Amino acid sequence: MAEKNDLQFTSCPVCVGNGVNDKGLKCSNCAGLGLGVFYFGKFYYWGLIFGRAMIKLRHLKKNLHLILNLVVFILGILGLIALGWWIWLISNHSNDLTSFAFWQIKHWLILAFWISVIADMFIIYRISEEEVIKQKIDKPKYNEKNDVSEMPNNWRQLSKAKAKYKIEVSFGFNYEAIKVLEDAYILADTAKNGQVCAKHLFFSLLKNNNVLAIFSRLNLNLSELIAKVENQLVLLPSNQGKTFLSNELKEILISAYLTARDSGQKKVKPAYLILPILAKDKILSEVLYELEVDSDKINNVIQWFAVSEKMVDNYHLYRAKAHLKPSGNMDRAYTAIATPVLNHFAFDLTLTAKWGRLALCVGRKKEIEAIWQNLESNQFGIILVGEVGVGKNTIIGQIAHLMVEENVPKILKDKRLMELDLPRLLSGASPEKAEERLLVILDEVSRAGNIILYINNIENLMGITAGEEQSLDLSEVLANAIERKNLICLTTSTNENYAKYLENKPLGNVLAKIIISEPEINQAIQIVESKINFFEAKHKVYFSYNSIAKAVDLTDKYIHDKYLPAKAIEILESIAVGVAKTKGINSLVTENDVAKVVSEITKIPVAKITESESEALLNLEEKIHQRMVDQVEAVSMVSASLRRARAGLREMKRPIASFLFMGPTGVGKTELAKTVAEVYFKDEEYMIRLDMSEYQHPDSVEKMIGNSDGALGYLTEAVRKMPFSLILLDEFEKAHPDILNLFLQVMDDGRLTDAQGKTIDFTNSIIIATSNVGAVFIQDNIVAGVGMEEIKQKLINEHLNKVLRPELINRFDGIIVFKPLSIEDVRQIAKIMLAKVGKMLEAKGFGFNVSDEGIKKIAQEGFDPKFGARPLRRLIQEKIENEIANKILSGNIKRRDVIIIDDNGLVLIEKGKKL
Amino acid sequence: MINNNLSFYSVKILAEIIRDILYFPVWWYSRGLNNVFKFLWKFLVNKQKSLGLLIWIKNIFIPMYGQYDWQGMLISFFVRLVQIIIRSFVMLFWLVLVVLVICTWLALPLLVIYEINFQLF
Repeated sequence: MAEKNDLQFTSCPVCVGNGVNDKGLKCSNCAGLGLGVFYFGKFYYWGLIFGRAMIKLRHLKKNLHLILNLVVFILGILGLIALGWWIWLISNHSNDLTSFAFWQIKHWLILAFWISVIADMFIIYRISEEEVIKQKIDKPKYNEKNDVSEMPNNWRQLSKAKAKYKIEVSFGFNYEAIKVLEDAYILADTAKNGQVCAKHLFFSLLKNNNVLAIFSRLNLNLSELIAKVENQLVLLPSNQGKTFLSNELKEILISAYLTARDSGQKKVKPAYLILPILAKDKILSEVLYELEVDSDKINNVIQWFAVSEKMVDNYHLYRAKAHLKPSGNMDRAYTAIATPVLNHFAFDLTLTAKWGRLALCVGRKKEIEAIWQNLESNQFGIILVGEVGVGKNTIIGQIAHLMVEENVPKILKDKRLMELDLPRLLSGASPEKAEERLLVILDEVSRAGNIILYINNIENLMGITAGEEQSLDLSEVLANAIERKNLICLTTSTNENYAKYLENKPLGNVLAKIIISEPEINQAIQIVESKINFFEAKHKVYFSYNSIAKAVDLTDKYIHDKYLPAKAIEILESIAVGVAKTKGINSLVTENDVAKVVSEITKIPVAKITESESEALLNLEEKIHQRMVDQVEAVSMVSASLRRARAGLREMKRPIASFLFMGPTGVGKTELAKTVAEVYFKDEEYMIRLDMSEYQHPDSVEKMIGNSDGALGYLTEAVRKMPFSLILLDEFEKAHPDILNLFLQVMDDGRLTDAQGKTIDFTNSIIIATSNVGAVFIQDNIVAGVGMEEIKQKLINEHLNKVLRPELINRFDGIIVFKPLSIEDVRQIAKIMLAKVGKMLEAKGFGFNVSDEGIKKIAQEGFDPKFGARPLRRLIQEKIENEIANKILSGNIKRRDVIIIDDNGLVLIEKGKKL
Repeated sequence: MINNNLSFYSVKILAEIIRDILYFPVWWYSRGLNNVFKFLWKFLVNKQKSLGLLIWIKNIFIPMYGQYDWQGMLISFFVRLVQIIIRSFVMLFWLVLVVLVICTWLALPLLVIYEINFQLF
């Protein structure tokens, strides 16, 4: 449902849109039309006059009419009873048929009957008059033109124009919608606001059950909304004169009518007023925005309800149309020819649609319009190209629906849409046999003349040849038939297969390409909604609007090898099953259920930013320092970028962050990367580690991104499977320059195309490259007491630019120089490492105790300014872990014994108490 | 005030209802008749559509089942002729029914008046 913002309303200059002059009479210039809009060759205006008296009159009249109808109805029934009674009386006395000729006999009962006939006639009169009042909204037709030029361009001419070109829209409003308007009028009149405006209408809408249902699917806080709208109402000017409908309100009413008309509704229901109100009244849309509801959300929920209603209507429509569409092979003129072979290898989509078995298609008007245009311009072959799951088959289904309704271009009228079952055609047949079958089918189709052929995944026809290598393949047979305009053929293919098998091939050339793109988020939501009712009924769970929107949103963001809407529908169905099992039937599917399932599938932590998590991000430095010693600058820089990323303040088309860590070996570069993976992704496992020294040859590119023979690239596959991950590139500068060039694109666009043509998404990864370049330089300068910033600049200008190209250096979000470790740092690290050993021992039931002097001693022995903390790890392994392992194996330590590291760093054992 | 208003409304509504009742005979022979015509026309069109009579007539010289040889054309001409005749009879039946309904509609008020007159005097 498009918002009708582009409507050009015109108002009468004499009465300024009121339709009445100062004396309360019809405006002489516009004959009471007042304000309206030209739309598809007709003039739409609002003509219903409001006033307290008028409203009361309408209500009273309605009740009186009801009473009158009832009285007349009873009279009619009584008359029939009278006649029956008389017949009964006569049948007691006589068996002669002539004595029943009541029109020749005088009797008071017969008199009563004849009087009642008048009542019956009166009933017919009332019913058909009421039907006239119930005039439904005119339905938009195929091929409708929006031609304004033929319409009169001044009010006098317009008022004299034929009545059928002037549509009074209030007739299209149902009783509830009129009731809402009356409430709005009374509200405005009581407050003496002078004009009924959008706010009055919105406020009275909030009493309507359908509107409330929409807001409840949106999880809206109603009392808060009502309070806010009330505050706005109070601000309106009061003590004005007579109340009348404002021009703004009339425009809203006409827009609502036109929106309902365009979406094929029979009547304007109150829900259709919401969007035009929000489009006209910015304050109200702000109020809703504050409550986290915007026009898109409301529109999507309205569509949800509309689609459900449409499904019911469709059922009736197809019952009505069923007897007109032939259910056999024949067209209605019996000029078609029987197609026994085709019938065997294909199934009839029009027939399936006739029985209402095809899924409903939401949106996609443009694509269907494009198909019509191609067919009308004598293009007999059409190919819909789009990814798996974007809805190509649903569009074909919609065409079948329209063919049943016969609401199609002439070329498709009274035809059958047959889907050729390619697997069935090809299976168990040699190429010769398959070719023979296809030839017979094409022959049948072209002779029958009432068949539209549909071939799904047309690429399966390619490359099937009978005979020598030079002979034509199946696709060319089809191509020739289409080119000779023997048959109309609709086909589909994916982008990849189209490029690979069809582009610039004979078949590809005769098919007009129509691209079916993945639906946008809102359209996808509406499509998903049309399926939701089915899931709700099947699995007995209920979806809130937000859960649907979340599913579409998350799958759009994080699942890249499948396409909307299919991927969201798949996930929602599995969620429905899951929720029905875990929470029980009749429970509500929430956003968190959706997040959980998406997270399980994609291995992505999609938990909503909760209070505690934000706190964790705020205290990221502290958390990292629990594992990392010193390197304050590096830690704070990394933390800051992660916070930016999580708060959504980053460019969405680039990786979350990319860093180059520089520094001597063993100072904690890899450790920081691991820590980030753990803190940000909740697990160290979300890390893809590449030793770039293994990629020193030019052909290593293949190892990275795969090759065209089908080998998968290590990097691309890893990221495809785990899009939310930290990519650690160790010794970055050692890789071949061609590989470094790959990362130029990754860091700039956040994506990389592998050798198979799949685009891999890097926008959810953190890239950390490490390098040892200039390690000695850093150490020397630190010893010489040079400042870190200066060291960094010199390092980049003098050392780094010799191994990396400047554009690559520039791509990194940050280049972080790690300081060499001091003895104090090493002591801290020793403490952390020993604590880890202690933890392992505790799990086995041993105690563990280290003296401060012992730590100092070990740190002293393990410290090497050149190698950082690496020797320390080796030392702890050799001196402590090995020793303890030997003792455990020799049986010297038992459970509850305490292992002590003494002041000299030696391992002692304190025997535990015996039980 | 309220009483005043009420009486005003009552008079107005009473007038409307009387107008409604007085309009009734006029309606019967004007808009009502028009509605009946429209309804019956639609009915006939739908019957015609489901019988496909016009399609059969239009295609009388076009062979059925694509049999373009002279035997096929000959046979199909006669088959179509028979079909058209049978379908025309069915259509005629509906037409007669429609005419009857229209006659009834036109005659009913007069008949009722005549009968009431007959009963009373």
